[in-house]
Amino acid sequence: MVDVVHEDIQLLAVIQRLNIPLGFKEKTVNEICEQHEVDLLFFLQLCNSYHDKEYLPADQFHEFPVDWIIDYLRNAHRCYIHFRIPAIEQQIVMLEKENQGNVKNIELLLNFFREYIREFSGHIDREETDVFPYILSLANSLQQQDVSQEFVNHFDDYSIDKYLEEHNLIEEKLFDLKNILLKYLPPPVDDCKYNNLLFDLFRLESDLMDHSDLEEKVLFPRVRNMEIKMKHLQNRH
Amino acid sequence: MVKILFADQSYIVRKGFTSLLEHFNEVETVLTVAGKEECREAVQSLAPHIVFINTSFFTSTEMNEFKGMMPDNTHILYLFNSVLPDESPANQLSIFESKASLIDKIHQVIQKLNTSKNTSESQELSPREKLILKHVALGHTNKAIGELLFISSHTVISHRKNITRKLGIKTVSGLTVYAILNNLIQMEDIS
Repeated sequence: MVDVVHEDIQLLAVIQRLNIPLGFKEKTVNEICEQHEVDLLFFLQLCNSYHDKEYLPADQFHEFPVDWIIDYLRNAHRCYIHFRIPAIEQQIVMLEKENQGNVKNIELLLNFFREYIREFSGHIDREETDVFPYILSLANSLQQQDVSQEFVNHFDDYSIDKYLEEHNLIEEKLFDLKNILLKYLPPPVDDCKYNNLLFDLFRLESDLMDHSDLEEKVLFPRVRNMEIKMKHLQNRH
Repeated sequence: MVKILFADQSYIVRKGFTSLLEHFNEVETVLTVAGKEECREAVQSLAPHIVFINTSFFTSTEMNEFKGMMPDNTHILYLFNSVLPDESPANQLSIFESKASLIDKIHQVIQKLNTSKNTSESQELSPREKLILKHVALGHTNKAIGELLFISSHTVISHRKNITRKLGIKTVSGLTVYAILNNLIQMEDIS
């Protein structure tokens, strides 16, 4: 297992989101997965798609239960909201404190980033409170081969495509922020901190790309299939 | 837009090519000259993108001198008063050539010109684009900007696409930040 992390340190994020603690000793990937009740194939597919941006075998992911995928996505959300984004915000605040000359610019940037945080949190909130429960309830009903009362009460007229319209490209703002920092902001006093901020932004962006790929190319098409099955089920009753 | 200088002693050939060049929307100006001195003056005042020149127009020494006067990257097409062999290069034309074949050769040169222009195009915003950006940053809609500047909202959209491509900034709030950083608008302008 430790070789996996040596190979690509970014995969630590995947390991953490599957709730696998560090301290691998000399155990193999298989042993670690068994110990923490993580499906080996699921782990491998996540790692491979995270490591190689081109690789995302939607067919293979269709074999896994949706709640595994949703658990993983939820853990990722938690990491963004509670750690990654506040850390970046903190760095911008620090720049504001230290740069006497262009406080105005940094303040501008901070406002821009806070606007982004608001949109991003809103997006995650919608997923956590509406979309994921909807998918889980859908999956549950299909598994029972019975339309649960809960589903009828909450989600009867809901569909994933309705949500997808709102799933606008949240990454655009991050992309802009990168370019503003790289191209247009006057050179900062402390290059090291500034660069660190840029590294963090690029990492967050790349991470979010994987995240939305998993949602848009794997989870949502799958949900569409489930919706069709659900229609059949409802018609039978 | 393409500027063309056409040098040939024959009135009828000049008229014929002028009418042929009207087929090309990209061509902005066609200046025809019949004399050597006139031709040398024209190449400096016009700074043409393409020069058509009859091979009997200058002696070879004069031609070399003339080439030195041309702006860099000018394309030269040589016009022959005789029939050309089939394999002659694309920059050689004959007064006996068919209309289709002439149009084809001229078209190729203009294409080449356009692509080379695009690669070296400046990434700086034009004054017009800055003006549009200013209005976008102030939160005006495409329609409102179009009405204000007397252009269609379609034109506004195409300007905005170019702005986004040049700056690498997609969102309106990102553009606003850019506009403030570059003093196109003041912080107080947005509320």
